[in-house]
Amino acid sequence: MEKNKSTQESISDKLYYVVRIAILVSVLFLFIPALNPTRISGLINKNISLFTAGTSYSTLVDNFGRAFKKEWVMESTMQLLYGSAIAIVLGIAANVANGCMSLGNIKFKKLGNLIGVIGCMIQLGGMFGVYSAYGKVALTSKPDRVEPMFPESFGLVTAIMVIVLICTIAQMLLLAKSKKEEKFEMETKFRLFLIFLPFIALVGVFSYLPLLGWRYAFFDYKAGDTLSMDKFVGFKWFLELVKNPATVRDIVNVLKNTLAMSGLGIATSWLPMAFAIFLCEMKNLKFRRFVQTFTTVPNFISWVLVYAIAFCIFSTDGFLSSLLVNLGIWTEGQNLLMNGDHMWVKMWAWGTWKGVGWSAIIYIAAISGIDQQLYEAATVDGAGRFQKMWNITVPCLIPTFFVLLLMSVANILSNGMDQYLVFKNATNTESIMVLDLYVYELGIGKGSIPLTTVVSMLKSVISVILLFSANGISKLIRGESIV
Amino acid sequence: MAKTAQEKADLKAEKLYKKTHKRKYKLKPSDIVFNIINYLVFGIFTLTCIFPFYYLFINTISNNDMVLRGQINFIPRGLHIGNYMSLLSVGDLSSAFIVSVSRTILGTALMVAASALVGYLVTKQEMWGRKFWYRFMVVTMYFNAGIIPVFLNMQMLGLTNSFWVYIIPGIVAPYNIILVKTYIESIPAELEESACIDGATYMTVFRKIIWPLSKPILATIAIFGAVGHWNSFTDSLLYMQSAPELYTLQHRLYIYLNQASNLKALMQSGGSISDAALQSALSSKIIKYTISMVTVIPILLVYPFLQRYFEEGIMLGAVKG
Repeated sequence: MEKNKSTQESISDKLYYVVRIAILVSVLFLFIPALNPTRISGLINKNISLFTAGTSYSTLVDNFGRAFKKEWVMESTMQLLYGSAIAIVLGIAANVANGCMSLGNIKFKKLGNLIGVIGCMIQLGGMFGVYSAYGKVALTSKPDRVEPMFPESFGLVTAIMVIVLICTIAQMLLLAKSKKEEKFEMETKFRLFLIFLPFIALVGVFSYLPLLGWRYAFFDYKAGDTLSMDKFVGFKWFLELVKNPATVRDIVNVLKNTLAMSGLGIATSWLPMAFAIFLCEMKNLKFRRFVQTFTTVPNFISWVLVYAIAFCIFSTDGFLSSLLVNLGIWTEGQNLLMNGDHMWVKMWAWGTWKGVGWSAIIYIAAISGIDQQLYEAATVDGAGRFQKMWNITVPCLIPTFFVLLLMSVANILSNGMDQYLVFKNATNTESIMVLDLYVYELGIGKGSIPLTTVVSMLKSVISVILLFSANGISKLIRGESIV
Repeated sequence: MAKTAQEKADLKAEKLYKKTHKRKYKLKPSDIVFNIINYLVFGIFTLTCIFPFYYLFINTISNNDMVLRGQINFIPRGLHIGNYMSLLSVGDLSSAFIVSVSRTILGTALMVAASALVGYLVTKQEMWGRKFWYRFMVVTMYFNAGIIPVFLNMQMLGLTNSFWVYIIPGIVAPYNIILVKTYIESIPAELEESACIDGATYMTVFRKIIWPLSKPILATIAIFGAVGHWNSFTDSLLYMQSAPELYTLQHRLYIYLNQASNLKALMQSGGSISDAALQSALSSKIIKYTISMVTVIPILLVYPFLQRYFEEGIMLGAVKG
């Protein structure tokens, strides 16, 4: 069948590529606020995408309270707009169904085309609704407040829809008649793919779509603005990082903290290994089990809870203060958490307290995999306890250690923000500010979106480079990759 | 049930221990010193891991006046459960508790189901573009658009101030998918093939063969997922800025801890605070302790029973690495 396709079939196949791409584009448009064809008034938030407009009426008319009250805009107009947005979204959904069905046999394709055409009709109705809503909004008594505007993307969205419609109708004519007894069938490879598709879409929406946000790095952007080319500033924000003295000071300080704390972690990354080796030296299995169970618990509580624990032990009326006051060593309780000295070491200590027992497990398992005959042979040769540890156990654990070390080097810029956020207070801000926390405070706290984006971007790129270098080193030395 | 590596190690060590004893191995003085120090160091460290929880707990169940005077340090006195009862009346806490519990259950269930299905699908050579899509998914582990682009993306999707932001972005978890995929690949292919010969569809094979056989790995990722959901705090902080009714328990706890320290800072700086406010600030210590306890109890209760799965989890990750 594959070999002697008629010309009609090959045209139809090619046409389907056009249709699928057009549908994909229209789905993308659903989520891009700048291409929202329902934005007919300046009062509609710039950050609303077509999808949001068609799903949440309250978001759509968020700023219309006054306009409704003063009757600049009739509420029915906005309801019409909302209904139209729903229609467009539904129409696109129908087209997606068409696109999926186009992977099946002729019977599937026929049904898909039918659904597609109906979808396009609904969408067309929606577009018409938007147009007439615009007509009504344009007649407002207060044009300077309502700012009626013809959505720029209206034509584009309509054009894509028309392309889909024409192609689909053409498909209907091109496709051969299906036999009556034919069933709905689809090739296995496409059937599996379609089951997979929703998950791909999720990954696309939540992991790849945010990358679009990197464009804010090149614009003068404040929350709520629209991006337009006159706000394009090129590499201004990148230069800001190295030119603006205040920012430079911040960044240098932040990098110092980040590298210092990650560095402390890396410098002591042998601790879990030592923990495991010495733990395995204990012959009392019950006690060993006990130690292992309870030292891994802290790993599973959140940083907020770690802070709660720090609080109950070290705050003014916590355990340490009340104990020392009761013993008469201190005259009154002190809040040690409000002490900003030695922050790096303290943060490292909390991290170690939380993580060391857990990180040791992997080494404990590795130790149990070491051939016992090695130890027996060494004992016969008269090796002492420490000689055995150093000459047998440690070399056996080095490969694991090496992989984990490389991973922590690759993650040197990402210490996470939870820990530092919860422990931060007025006295230690300067020395606790790590990159992740800085980005959070700069972006969410101060609303400096472009600069934050630049920092995140650079961090992401550097991290990926570090990761691949670590991987390369691993391949070079061990002949195995780690990612 | 399969023995964990740990249990095997224990057995091995026990045998060795018996062996050495048979030989009437005598402890040298240096060994005794070593053992004492070793046991002592581990004992103390373990104590630092247990004691804070114990301290928290005894302070929530002891007589409140004594707690406020700092007299409860090691032994609980004047036991009562009034503090836990009074938490029930704090409205924002019970709603936070409900949010945390529901996100943990729903989020974990969906994540596990999706990981199982996707993990199965990516083992199917027949799938169109399998390699590409698998990489497309896995690569996302290694890059991140950054906190602000992600935030703006959520805003654009209308997920901010919505419960679904806790659930939907976490459904596809690439790392868990890798774990499931690796596990499914270790299931003998003959099982599946024979089912296919009998005319089973892919979904039947998945339901009847893959799902039951991969339960151990699914349990492991479920536990890690559940702990992650229960502990997660930054998403609440970031995305719920105008929906305090959707704060998670961890976020509430954070707010309570901070409120108190703010009050304390106020007291230290000025001192122009009324007695009533002072009293409430002090008793807020008990509230904080009680909330902390409520937040930590699920983990403490669940952990000892499921420790095996936790440890298997880290080993699986290691195999992959």
